[in-house]
Amino acid sequence: MQGGQALPPVEAQQSDWQTQGSQWLSGVKDAAMSTLATGGGGGKKDEDEVYSPFLGLEKSQVLQECRVFNDPQLNPRLCAQLITKILYMLGQGEQLSRSESTSIFFGVTKLFQAKDDHLRRMIYLVMKELNPSAEEVIIVTATLTKDMNSKQDLYRANAIRVLCKIISMTDPTMLGQIERHLKQALVDKNAFVAASALVSSIQLIRVNAEVVKRWVNEVQTALQSDNQTVQYHALALLHMIKKQDRLAVNKIVSSLTRTPIKSPLAQCLLIRFVKKVMDEEGGGGERDRTLLEFLEGTLRHKSDVVIYEGANALCGLPNVSQRELSPAITVLQLFLCSNKPTLRFAAARTLNRIAMLHPAAVTPCNMDLEGLINDANRSIATLAITTLLKTGSEAGVERLMKQITTFMSEIADEFKVIVVDAIRSMCIKFPQKHRLLMTFLSNMLREEGGFTYKKAIVDTILELIAQIPDAKEAGLMNLCEFIEDCEFTPLSTAILAVLGTEGPATAEPSSYIRFIYNRVVLENATVRASAVSALAKFGVQLPQLRSSIVTLLLRCLHDNDDEVRDRATLYCSMLQKMEVSPDDVFGIGPAQLCLQPLPVPLLALEHAVAQYLAQPSDEPFSVFNVTMSAEMLAAERKAAHEQSAARRKAENHDGGSRHQMMPGTPGKAAAKAVDASVDYLAKIPQFAHVGPRFSSSKPAALTDPETEYSCACIKHVYARHTILAFELRNTIDDQYLQDVRVALDLAGTAGLEVEVELPCPALPFGVAGQAFILLRRTEAAPTGSLGCTLRFRVREAHAETHEPLDSSAGYEDEYALEELELAAADYMKRLMVADFRAGWEGMGNGGEVIETFSLTYSGLPEAIRAIVDFLGMEVCEGTGTPQDGARTHTVLLSGAFLSGAQVLAIVNLRTESAKQVGMRLSVRSADKEISQFVASCVA
Amino acid sequence: MGLFSGLFGKLGVSKKKVKVLCVGLDNSGKSSIINQLKPKKTAATELVPTVGFAVEEFAKNNLNFTVFDMSGQGRYRSLWEHYYKDVTGIMFVVDSTDKIRMCVAKDELDTLLAHADVRNVPILFLANKMDLPLAMTPVDCVAVMELDRITDKPWHISATNAMTGDGLDEALTWLADQMSRSIRY
Ligand SMILES: Nc1nc2c(ncn2[C@@H]2O[C@H](COP(=O)(O)OP(=O)(O)O)[C@@H](O)[C@H]2O)c(=O)[nH]1
Ligand SMILES: [Mg+2]
Repeated sequence: MQGGQALPPVEAQQSDWQTQGSQWLSGVKDAAMSTLATGGGGGKKDEDEVYSPFLGLEKSQVLQECRVFNDPQLNPRLCAQLITKILYMLGQGEQLSRSESTSIFFGVTKLFQAKDDHLRRMIYLVMKELNPSAEEVIIVTATLTKDMNSKQDLYRANAIRVLCKIISMTDPTMLGQIERHLKQALVDKNAFVAASALVSSIQLIRVNAEVVKRWVNEVQTALQSDNQTVQYHALALLHMIKKQDRLAVNKIVSSLTRTPIKSPLAQCLLIRFVKKVMDEEGGGGERDRTLLEFLEGTLRHKSDVVIYEGANALCGLPNVSQRELSPAITVLQLFLCSNKPTLRFAAARTLNRIAMLHPAAVTPCNMDLEGLINDANRSIATLAITTLLKTGSEAGVERLMKQITTFMSEIADEFKVIVVDAIRSMCIKFPQKHRLLMTFLSNMLREEGGFTYKKAIVDTILELIAQIPDAKEAGLMNLCEFIEDCEFTPLSTAILAVLGTEGPATAEPSSYIRFIYNRVVLENATVRASAVSALAKFGVQLPQLRSSIVTLLLRCLHDNDDEVRDRATLYCSMLQKMEVSPDDVFGIGPAQLCLQPLPVPLLALEHAVAQYLAQPSDEPFSVFNVTMSAEMLAAERKAAHEQSAARRKAENHDGGSRHQMMPGTPGKAAAKAVDASVDYLAKIPQFAHVGPRFSSSKPAALTDPETEYSCACIKHVYARHTILAFELRNTIDDQYLQDVRVALDLAGTAGLEVEVELPCPALPFGVAGQAFILLRRTEAAPTGSLGCTLRFRVREAHAETHEPLDSSAGYEDEYALEELELAAADYMKRLMVADFRAGWEGMGNGGEVIETFSLTYSGLPEAIRAIVDFLGMEVCEGTGTPQDGARTHTVLLSGAFLSGAQVLAIVNLRTESAKQVGMRLSVRSADKEISQFVASCVA
Repeated sequence: MGLFSGLFGKLGVSKKKVKVLCVGLDNSGKSSIINQLKPKKTAATELVPTVGFAVEEFAKNNLNFTVFDMSGQGRYRSLWEHYYKDVTGIMFVVDSTDKIRMCVAKDELDTLLAHADVRNVPILFLANKMDLPLAMTPVDCVAVMELDRITDKPWHISATNAMTGDGLDEALTWLADQMSRSIRY
């Protein structure tokens, strides 16, 4: 049982733990019999019913029975039964007090006197579960060390596991004392012993990497083992040892790709390592041929697991091309027809994931996917249908949606969320279909469902509202109906917030008021408070409704919740004053106060208000006098960073399925990740005056990877300003940098002035830091290359703690960075249009500019990617991917320019030679100058 | 536990089992004494300081001894008490050349004697390392450690040499005799 828990099942060499397993089983049976015999089974004994042998086990009784551990005439069988009971009890979540577990622990240690194998195994097991304290647990060190050197394989293997667990939990430095034995065990000729040592080392490397790293030769030897399990664990450990050193990892990978390993699981692991190496190399440069060939080779492996792992890895390669995909798709297609549900499921899931990015590549599987839409396994059916939705044509949408409706009620929420995601991408691909899809969504909203599911639907509707102007009113109405009967407070408040901002701009704002006011009457305090705020937003924006809103708010003044009352009071007096004179509150206008986040963090505001109250002055209080202390800034920075890191992690974890990317908009996930830090930007007082953000760029690296210092820049564009946020990292462990800033050379670019500089005060080794520059633009949209230099003060640092040495006063130094490009795309925002043709025709050719270019790209997909990136516009109607082998292609693009003007573009491409792509770019907007600006930027 | 061992047990053919705790300050010679008592072929040739405890077995005077050889180092002494329960006998080893730490040994003994689990248990004191020139005699040891105040349980003291085994036989015979009397069935 012990072996089985930690190791995946492997056919060979199972005898060890098989016998152990049967011993354990017989132990359970014995214990069961004794429990039943003593009447501990609880309740009547019914022949037909199966009782857990331990049903009704009493903790106090078990503790009493522990006396047998002290008996000089030890009964091993009884003791083993008792340990089984203890393990069962712990497994059921029973809590032991410190003294209870101490007394059991010492009782168990006395059992080492018995020579009974079965009992010894139970001792090992329970020892790990009891979690003895560090002071107590040392008592068994000698005993376990002795067992580690026993002639019995069983003792050796288990003792290693227990001792290593104890060491890693209590005192990792003790590892030195048993190092010699462990090193030997790694290459033990018994597979169970070797595997135990390897698995234990994987645990230990987390707490004492230094020692474990010394065993690399033994691990290499274990990797050559004939036993598959040993091989598997050895590979995992070897990778952990070399993880930090990319070159070494590459070396392992390339040497193993040449000499194949037998274990399928090890092979899968290797595939993951290969994938990681390829991910890190990025999609930019040339792909490593040998690695790619290795992955392709795995598709011919005889084990399904390996084939799937290989296919899955290929599908997930960065910037994967159609040609690279096709062999993987072929094997997945075969899996779709397998009689094993797991294979069908796995294949459908992988295809589903890549369908959005590479619909053309997945299309060949459509027939097979069609065959699965009625699969008895509804999870498979769901994946099949949603994949078809993503790859299919507009015409099929209705049929598939109908099909899925038939079993929506049978599938779990988790899969309903997949359906919602498919619908989300559907709407973006076929904006014309929004009515049908919106209806589907609103039906789903009415059904039963958990929070995650409902949230996915609401998020999708909100995204549709934001992306497709035509869908706005219907979407808002659906949400209004939903909150009439919504049991999830967070969803209600989120929807109320959106209603407040979006509702006033609709044709009939007053129709929303009733829904909102109902919340004030019917809901809990949190929702009531949100409803009050939403009402105020209507009042602020719509003078004609203001007096009725005030009437409604007056009724809230008697609410029994403080927050609701406070909000109502504030908004009432604010709206009433607006009627007379548009006064502001603390220096913020009513509209800004209601509609935008506070310009300073709450904590800073609170602090400032408290200070103002303590020492009132004649000057009225104003938010613009709020200052932030250095600690507050640092805390905010850290929080924003953690938030964006967590979000990035979530995105990666989802494998892109939650946030399907449109072809040609690879920036979306990255853009989401920068959102958190942007929220934080808005809270830095020095930036309070820049207004709402127009757009944020992807991070642009200003250093090569793996240089001493790394620096990347995100450009945040505002109406008249651009904030440059520099992400800094210092990779020299004996340097501590201070006052790190980026010096810009603005000489070559007209129209830019530095307004504020916020250097990074300290940049220790390995900790991310940030520096900012606020630029004021004196011209509308300056473009060009800015020279950048990193300037800082270097102090020597302690190599271990990375703290600066007091002895080191430091010196000023600088480091050349790459140029920062300000491009047209920075001033452009992706914007979806419902009907491109209609929009294009409607715009007329008055503001049209046409340019032709010859581009140096080796294929259409590369050229498209580059152009979309360069222009920073949204790809419409799924025109981001050319047909396989096509020589010409047309891309439709849409965006909003800084001024708010809509810009549309048609890009006609033609392959002219192996290295040349010809392009005709037609740009239309209301303003010819803007069109000209956009078009000329490509040159 | 096969059928036969069970039968033999009932018929009284197998030897009786006793559980003995061996305590004393570190370096007093506990592990050496137990090593000396073990059958020659299982005896260790080289001893390292005990970390925690070790369980050893040997037969002596028609009894099967299971001895818990406890580590005597400071950080482990507080853990001795967890092993007092249900022992049939206690061996308390004293380094008779270590006059300086004799009072530490006395303190530990006081704690042991005061413990509720140590009642009616025979205690065998071993004044070890008697071969060395500065060794105190058993009579000196009794005086320094005030052993004569122990009236509620049987005790005995012998001078021993763990290296040669001198004195051990006589000492163990006393302990075996005491324990045979107190064994409950
Ligand atoms: N001369 C002599 N040395 C002894 C005697 N007993 C033990 N030693 C030594 O004392 C040291 C400590 O012995 P050990 O058995 O490890 O003591 P423990 O810590 O009580 O287990 C070792 O170097 C032994 O060789 C003895 O009777 N005479
Ligand atoms: Mg010892």
